[in-house]
Amino acid sequence: MSLEQFKDRNVGTQNYVKLDLDHSPTTGWCQFKQVVKRTFKPELFVGLWVTFREMINALFRGKMHTTQYPFEKLPISPRYRAIHDMLRLMESGNYRCIGCGLCEKICISDCISMETKYDENQRKEVSEYTINFGRCIFCGYCAEVCPELAIVHGGRYETASEQRASFSLFEDMLTPIDQLNLQQEYAGFGAISPNADENIKSTPLAY
Amino acid sequence: MVSTLFLTATALPEVGPAGVIIKAVLILAVIAAIAGFGTYIERKILAFMQRRLGPQHVGPFGLLQLAADGIKLFTKEDIIPQHANKFIFAIAPVITAATAFIALAAVPVFPDFTIPFIDVFVPSIAADINVGILFVLGMMAAGLYGPLLAGMAQGNKWGIIGSARTAIQFLSYEVVTGLSILAPIMMVGSLSFVNFNDYQTDGLWLVAYQPVAFVLFLIAGFAETNRTPFDLLEHEAEVISGYVTEYSGMRWGLFFIGEYANMITIGVIASVVFLGGYNDFWIFPGWLMIIGKIAFSFFFMLWVRAAWPHVRPDQLMWLCWKVLMPLAVVNVVITGLVIML
Amino acid sequence: MSEVQIVDNMVDITIDGVEYKAKEGEYILNAARANDVFIPAICYLTRCSPTLACRICLVEVDGKQVYACNSKVKAGMNITVDTPDILTERRAMMEVYDVNHPLQCGVCDQSGECELQNYTLELQVDSQSYSIPDTKRETANWSSVLHYDPGLCIVCERCTTVCKDMIGDAAITTAKRGGEALDKSWKDNMPKDAYAMWNKLQKSVIAPSNGTGSTDCSDCGECIAVCPVGALVSRDFVYTSNAWDLKRIPAVSAHSSDGFAIYYETKPAGIEDRTEKIFRVTNEWNFVSLDGAARFAYDFENDTASKDETAFNAGVEALTKAETIRFNSLISNEEALMLQTLKEKKGVKLYNPEVRPFQKFLKLYNEASGASLYNGSTDTALKCDFAVSVGGALRNDSPGLKYAFNNIQKMNKGAGLYFHPVGDKLIPTFGKSVECFTHKVGLEEATLYLLLELFADKDKLPSDTKEYLASFGENELLELLGADAEAFMKAFPKMMKKKENFVLMVGEDYYGHAKAENLVKLIVLLEATAGFQVVMNPPKSNALGVALICELDDEATGYTVGYNENGDFKLSALGDGDLDMPAMNQQEGTFTTLSKRVVPTNAALDYNGYVLNDLMAKLIDAPSQTIDWTAYLPQEKGYQAMDFDDMLNTFDNAGQDNRGYLLKVTYDEVEPTDAEKFDKDDVLDGDIVYRANPPRQFNDFSDKAHQIFEAFGLYASEERAKALGEKAEILFKNGKITVDVIVDAKMEGDIVALSDFKSAENVYELFGESRYQTVTIRKG
Repeated sequence: MSLEQFKDRNVGTQNYVKLDLDHSPTTGWCQFKQVVKRTFKPELFVGLWVTFREMINALFRGKMHTTQYPFEKLPISPRYRAIHDMLRLMESGNYRCIGCGLCEKICISDCISMETKYDENQRKEVSEYTINFGRCIFCGYCAEVCPELAIVHGGRYETASEQRASFSLFEDMLTPIDQLNLQQEYAGFGAISPNADENIKSTPLAY
Repeated sequence: MVSTLFLTATALPEVGPAGVIIKAVLILAVIAAIAGFGTYIERKILAFMQRRLGPQHVGPFGLLQLAADGIKLFTKEDIIPQHANKFIFAIAPVITAATAFIALAAVPVFPDFTIPFIDVFVPSIAADINVGILFVLGMMAAGLYGPLLAGMAQGNKWGIIGSARTAIQFLSYEVVTGLSILAPIMMVGSLSFVNFNDYQTDGLWLVAYQPVAFVLFLIAGFAETNRTPFDLLEHEAEVISGYVTEYSGMRWGLFFIGEYANMITIGVIASVVFLGGYNDFWIFPGWLMIIGKIAFSFFFMLWVRAAWPHVRPDQLMWLCWKVLMPLAVVNVVITGLVIML
Repeated sequence: MSEVQIVDNMVDITIDGVEYKAKEGEYILNAARANDVFIPAICYLTRCSPTLACRICLVEVDGKQVYACNSKVKAGMNITVDTPDILTERRAMMEVYDVNHPLQCGVCDQSGECELQNYTLELQVDSQSYSIPDTKRETANWSSVLHYDPGLCIVCERCTTVCKDMIGDAAITTAKRGGEALDKSWKDNMPKDAYAMWNKLQKSVIAPSNGTGSTDCSDCGECIAVCPVGALVSRDFVYTSNAWDLKRIPAVSAHSSDGFAIYYETKPAGIEDRTEKIFRVTNEWNFVSLDGAARFAYDFENDTASKDETAFNAGVEALTKAETIRFNSLISNEEALMLQTLKEKKGVKLYNPEVRPFQKFLKLYNEASGASLYNGSTDTALKCDFAVSVGGALRNDSPGLKYAFNNIQKMNKGAGLYFHPVGDKLIPTFGKSVECFTHKVGLEEATLYLLLELFADKDKLPSDTKEYLASFGENELLELLGADAEAFMKAFPKMMKKKENFVLMVGEDYYGHAKAENLVKLIVLLEATAGFQVVMNPPKSNALGVALICELDDEATGYTVGYNENGDFKLSALGDGDLDMPAMNQQEGTFTTLSKRVVPTNAALDYNGYVLNDLMAKLIDAPSQTIDWTAYLPQEKGYQAMDFDDMLNTFDNAGQDNRGYLLKVTYDEVEPTDAEKFDKDDVLDGDIVYRANPPRQFNDFSDKAHQIFEAFGLYASEERAKALGEKAEILFKNGKITVDVIVDAKMEGDIVALSDFKSAENVYELFGESRYQTVTIRKG
């Protein structure tokens, strides 16, 4: 998806059409003329025709505009910031989150918290992870700061639920292991910039 | 054929009380159902005109939406506000619905027929009185009490405003309705719907003689039935819901049924008085013609609602007293002159 | 008998063109720090010897490059911190440190307070020039608390240094790691200090010094504190929290009488439980070293407390009819003052068997010396070069004094004498000039006479004492105390060489001693004639505060209310009493430390119940807050009318302890009196039990903490334990107790040590005032 239209902030130079509106009648004679004009000018019938035409278009020419949400959904921008997803590593299926706590630290509404522990493989394991969506303002800082591209914003914008907790636990946000092949890389906040390679200095390697 | 029955009205069997009661029940049941169905039609038509789909999840094409709404209305809590005049508040919707249906008593709905086996004759008009038009107009005018009392009884500012608007709008346009229909009455020389129908059997439709009266009647009809562009009584952008602000459940539903019954009544009057009634037309039988005409009137009201904006109360009054009423008077005068000459 | 005064000679130095004052003989690095000048340094620890491991503190002095951590200040020095050459060296060193350092800051426990991170940023290392193949290094758990990740280790040797120079355990050391050898070409292609550092770094790793996989130490965790990277972490803390999430609450360790300055570091316990929880304890490791109890015994809070009005009313009633209040030394000054006020207004008895002997001893000392308190402190002791410890099991009783004793040997080229009936294997390892005397119980007076013999200016001694001292034969006292007299007399002159400041550490054994009065007289004589400064170790926690503030009674009678102790009605911060009280990490207040400093401590955790002040408000006219009492601590005892909120809780950059205030000590001139003679046959024989806790255990609260594993029991040397079997029944004169026998590998001899930290076991009643008892020990 091209973002050109969003980048053009040169408001005011586009070709706007200025409507040539009639002036309000000032004298009785003018008013009378207006009434007569409006009475015999088929303005009202134009209105009727437009609505009728649209009905024909909608019914018979496939121009029905309705998107049958929630059965149909419109695509959203990759930069959209909805409920977070926690991604997994494609190769191993392990989750990417290493429990570094940067998202917890940077979160400006202080809604992320996690519990970590030393696991049997001598690694840092995230034992609990939760986002308080009652406080989250979907600013995207957590995704931006994440060094592992583990926490990203997903496209789940339907945030009505019986319980807020339905979204906020680690397992709910994590890519289901059986849908690993459907996992998509996130292109929004925090994603690697296209010119990332240029900004990295090479380090000698002894192997 | 139905039309022949009408033609030989004098040779009709005696109209007994059983037939009238059956007719009344039929009108009640069918019109109430049609009124309900009208809401579905309205929502669909408006949706199509806005390139939407409208109700479509309850039943095939959303047809059972009507039932769903009915269940909802019947099961909703019946709220009567604490400071309302409870008795009047309770009967006001009944007045609206009742007057709407009473008006239908003098309007021909369905052709005459005889129920086989028990041999009961059911007339097309429940009460075929010779002042039918007057009765219908009078009854519709009495319908004014419904919104008026409802708005005043509920102890709500929006309701009061709604009532006030009811009073001025209904009373004002009563004048236009009466005057506009006066010209055809003068031509036909009767107040009976049957005579109107008969008058147009062979000749042109009255609308050809009285186009101005027809337009005036339609405009006034919109106002009488509280339809866009004259739905100022309950215009939500201005007065929340006007006289129905505090109503809920089936009481609110009764207003609704009343409104749709009135729409049908207007449709019937327009069809019979101006559009040739239930006469056969070319290959189309009379009963189809009348249904088609009423249906078109109904559709037209919805169409107008989809296309045109509201008017302001002052514009409404200006239109009535400065434009429509003088036009109607002029039309009556001209009609009189033509008849005299 | 006067204030201890050690005067420093100040000289002028110039750093980067600015003139500063510095102590002569101070290391340049310390002088700069004292003057708020920043010189980068990783491996150096204040109060410990420079190791020269990191070499980053390179500075230029009068045109020559020197290391700031091991070059001493001289008058008129001109120091430049950064020159282009030095910056190149430093940058190279930081690059070398970053070679193969795992890029796991994301999970590392030190991230955020890591000196490697900090200096890498400070020196703007944004690219790497060096590389070498890495070797696999496995993580290891060294003890019940220590976790070591050699992959993260930069071998700065701070841990080994602090363990040796301050703690005295010397339990860890550098070891070979078998890393890839450096390519020789580097030598010519990189700055030479960086190369030398790398060469060493590539070869070394830290390991337990006993050659096994686990450390044999007191588990104080100081190595964890000083580790600049995440290599050493407590096993409990590893990967549980990030440094930046923790809130630091300055406080005082509630266990030993040292009053160590600590920070409770708290954050919400977890996602489900949002109440604050202490995750670890940290310290200003440059200026204060903690013992295991201070560092690991932190989760003793009373978390079940609630405002139980019925219990509260019962408490008020109990205190109203109480004849005695029994308590221990784990109580703040303010609470002690409340109890004292209650005594004054209601005539209730205050019974505290832990502190009472100490209080009596202080009184005796006051009468004999004219000083209101002893004149030394841990801070002044650290500046001495000759340490003598008497009457205390240094390793068990007083971590602070043990550290001082050790530090004197290591840093001040000092010497030390350790007198104690219970043999100890650790103390002799503190230094070559440390002599230990394992004497018989009852010969404490002989100990002090020997010290007079060795150190006193005999001419100043009162005549009778002088005569009595002369009556002993050559080496008689030494032999009496069980020393190899000839060898000692040969070594002693060497020990005394160039010694100027002497400190006498007096332990708890003396306080309840039958001959306490005579011991005091001898101590006073030592002070007067041998120039000793004296430090007395208050038995546990706030014993000094209680001794100064409360007038204690000798026995408990009638209806007794116990505060964290047994009683007819029990106020308890342990959660097991009739009315809940806040634990020390849940309340604010002040402590009086061994160093005679009144230090403020803060509440780290929430407390939902009633506090002692609420009870006081019902009984007597009490102010609204506990800390409102602070300003009313008795000024005649040396306290000041200072409000709690006016107290500082910091150290300055030079290491000066600015917490709270020092007790005012008054000195009256009193002529030393003659000491009495002693009966050298009045010794205990047979099975002897000594009342002493294992290191890291002080009270019920340290026992409650989940990282303290030392059990209640009978501690014995390996041989003795083998003879005793698994369980032992000890028959005292007035009771018996059956306990587990636990081996303390660092103990020597036949005397066994019975723990007293469980108040429920009532060990104090069994012993009476003396810490030693002859008993019958049966296999249990």
